Amino acid sequence: MGAVLVAALSLAACGTSGPEPASTACARSSGKVTLSFWSWVPGMDKAVDMWNAENPDIRVELNAVAGGNQGTYQNMFNALKANTEPDLAQVEFDMLPSFRLQQGLRDISKCLEPDAGDRFIGFAWDQATFGGEGVFAIPQDTGPMAMFYRKDLFERYGIQVPKTWDEFRVAAEEVHRKDPSVYLTSFPQRDVGWFEGLAWQHGASWFNTEGSTWQVSVGDRPTTEVADYWQDLLARHLVTPLQGFSTPWTKALADGKVLTWISAVWGNSTLSTNVPSTTGKWAVAPMPQWSGNGPSAANWGGSTTAVLRGSEHPYEAAKFALWLNTDPKSLELLNRSGGLYPATKDGIELPFLKKPVEFYGGQHIFDVFAEAAGQVKGGFAWGPTMTQTNAALADGFGKALAGDATLTDALAAADRETQTAMRLQALEVKIR
Amino acid sequence: MSVQTANRATAAATATPSRAQRRSERRAIIGFLAPFGTLFLLFYLLPIGYSFVRSFFVTERDGAFGPARDAWGGLSNYAQAISDPALLSSVGRVLLFGVVQVPVMLIIAMLFALILDSSLARLKRFFRLSYFVPYAVPVVIGTIVWGFLFTPGLGPVADFFPVDFLGDGWVLWSIAIIVTWTYAGYNMLIMHSNLQAIDRDIYEAAHVDGATNWQIALRIKIPLIRDAVILTGVFSIIGTLQLFTEPQVLR
Repeated sequence: MGAVLVAALSLAACGTSGPEPASTACARSSGKVTLSFWSWVPGMDKAVDMWNAENPDIRVELNAVAGGNQGTYQNMFNALKANTEPDLAQVEFDMLPSFRLQQGLRDISKCLEPDAGDRFIGFAWDQATFGGEGVFAIPQDTGPMAMFYRKDLFERYGIQVPKTWDEFRVAAEEVHRKDPSVYLTSFPQRDVGWFEGLAWQHGASWFNTEGSTWQVSVGDRPTTEVADYWQDLLARHLVTPLQGFSTPWTKALADGKVLTWISAVWGNSTLSTNVPSTTGKWAVAPMPQWSGNGPSAANWGGSTTAVLRGSEHPYEAAKFALWLNTDPKSLELLNRSGGLYPATKDGIELPFLKKPVEFYGGQHIFDVFAEAAGQVKGGFAWGPTMTQTNAALADGFGKALAGDATLTDALAAADRETQTAMRLQALEVKIR
Repeated sequence: MSVQTANRATAAATATPSRAQRRSERRAIIGFLAPFGTLFLLFYLLPIGYSFVRSFFVTERDGAFGPARDAWGGLSNYAQAISDPALLSSVGRVLLFGVVQVPVMLIIAMLFALILDSSLARLKRFFRLSYFVPYAVPVVIGTIVWGFLFTPGLGPVADFFPVDFLGDGWVLWSIAIIVTWTYAGYNMLIMHSNLQAIDRDIYEAAHVDGATNWQIALRIKIPLIRDAVILTGVFSIIGTLQLFTEPQVLR
C-alpha cells in the first residue's frame, strides 16, 4: 500500500497545474490535414461527406457521439484533461462558458475575416464571442421561440390568440372555465431551458463578468417576475404540470387537453412526429409579450461548432466550421436531417425555410421564427457551471410542483448552488 | 517391496520438499497471481490511492476564465462534503427506504415460500416459476414498465389509486414497490429451497404431538430456515445500499 501511495503522489505531482490557455496564433498548415470532429446532429455525416468531396486536402473525420448531456460533454472534458480532444466539437450555447473555463476552447478570431461576425444573427454571435474580442466557436443553430397553438380548438372555445402575457392569463382562465379538463398550456416541469428562454425574453441577466469577478443573480427581477407569473397560473390550476416530451404530455396534446406549446423552432418537428393525429390543426403565432417592453422573443437551445484547445490545425478547423454553418447546401442538409435552424442572417432566408408546412395547415411558420430570431436580446450570458445550475433549477421546480415550495424558492436555491459550484471552481463570485 | 519404497519416497517429498521444488512452487504461485495482482493494483488500488491523495487538493484560479492550478487544501473537501445537507438527507432517505422495504419484502417472500411449501398448495411448479419471473426481467425494463403503470392516464395502477406515484412525496415508495416486485420471488426461492430440505419426518412427529399447521409453520419451519432468512436479509440490505438503477430510470 505504501508503494501505491508513493506512486499516486507522484502522479498527483504531475498534475499539479492545469492547462494554460491555447495560443491564438493561426497559421495555415502545409500539405494534407485530417481533422477529428465530434457531433451528435443527425445527418452531420452527409454534410461532412460533402465537405470531404470538395476539399481533398482538409479531411474531416466525424465521430457520431451521443447527445452532449447524455455523456458526451463529460467525455469531452475527460479528453481535454488527457489532451486527446478532437479538433472540432459540437457545443451548445449554455455549455460554452464551461468549456472556456476548462481552457477547452481555442480563440479562432485570427483565423477569420474581421467582419465574419456580421453574417451571424446578433445574439448567436454574442454567445460565441462572450461579448469580447475573441471568437471561441462558430454558431451553428438557434432556437427562437414562438407559440404553437391548436387553431381548431381556439376557435371552438372562442378564444383569441393572446398577444401579451396578460391576455395569455385571461385565455387560460377562459379555456379552463369552459372545460375544466382542458388547459391552455402545460408547465414543462424539468425543461429548465424553456424557463430560461422565457426569462431571457423578459430581460434576465444571470451572469456577468467584471474584471476577474463573476456577478451571479439567477433570481434577478425579470426572472422572479416570470416565476411569479407561472406560480400564479400553477396555484390556480390554470396550467397543468406535464413533463415536456413525455408520453403523458404528447397524449394530452393528441387528446386536445393542452392547447399550446410555447417552444423553439425545432419544436415544429417534435409536434409533427409525436402527435401526427393532429395534422393540419396547429398554427404558429409569435409568443406573448410583456407589456411595456418592445417586441422581444426568447431563445431555447442552439449550438456551435467549436475548435478545441489542442487542435494542431486551427486555421483549417475554423475554415470547416465556418463552411459548415454558413454554406447554403450544408445548412439545408443540416436542417432537413437534423432540424437545425441556421444561425446566419442569410441562412434563415433560404428557400427551404420559405415553404408552407402541411402539419400547420399550410402556414409559412418559419416566417414567424425568422421574425423572432431578430427579436432575441443580445448579450445574454450563460454561466460557467450550467450543469449544476440547471440541475438545481430542475430539482427546485420539482419541489415547487409538488407544492412544497414556490418557483421563486427554486430560483433562490439555484442561485445559491450556482455560487457554491463556482466557488468550488475557485472563481470569485459577487452577489448582486 | 518396491511399491512401498516408492510410496515412502512420495510421502517424504510432500513432507519436506527440496529447496528447488519450493522455489518452483513459489514461482508458480506468483505466476498465477500476477495477472490478477497487476490488474488489481493498476485499476483498483492505484486509482483509490490517487483519489485519496487528490482529495486533499483544491483548485485555484485567477480571472473569470483563468486556467486552474492545484493547491493543498487539507481537509477542506471533506468538511465541504460533511456539511452538505444533501449528503445527510440522502443517507437518511436510503436508511428509511431500507428499514421499510427490506422487512416488507422478506415477509412477503416468507409468506409465498410457506404457502408453496404447504400441503394445500396446487400447481406448485407453475407458481414457483411465476413468482420468480420478475427477477429474470432486466431491472431497467422492469422499471420502465412500472413507470408506465404509475403514470396517470396510461397505467391502471395510477388510475385505481388517487396517489401521485411519481411525485416527490411518493416516489420513494414507488421504488420500494418496484424493488419488492423484482426481488420478492428471488428471496422466496432461497427460502423455499431451504424449506424443501427439511426432513418431512419432523412435521409428522409434530402432527402426532398435536401441533396445528400454523404452529408447524411458526415454531418449526421458520426457525429451521433462519440461516436462509438471515442470508436474504443481508443480500437485501446490500441491495438497498446499491439502489441506483430504479431511481435513475424513473427520473
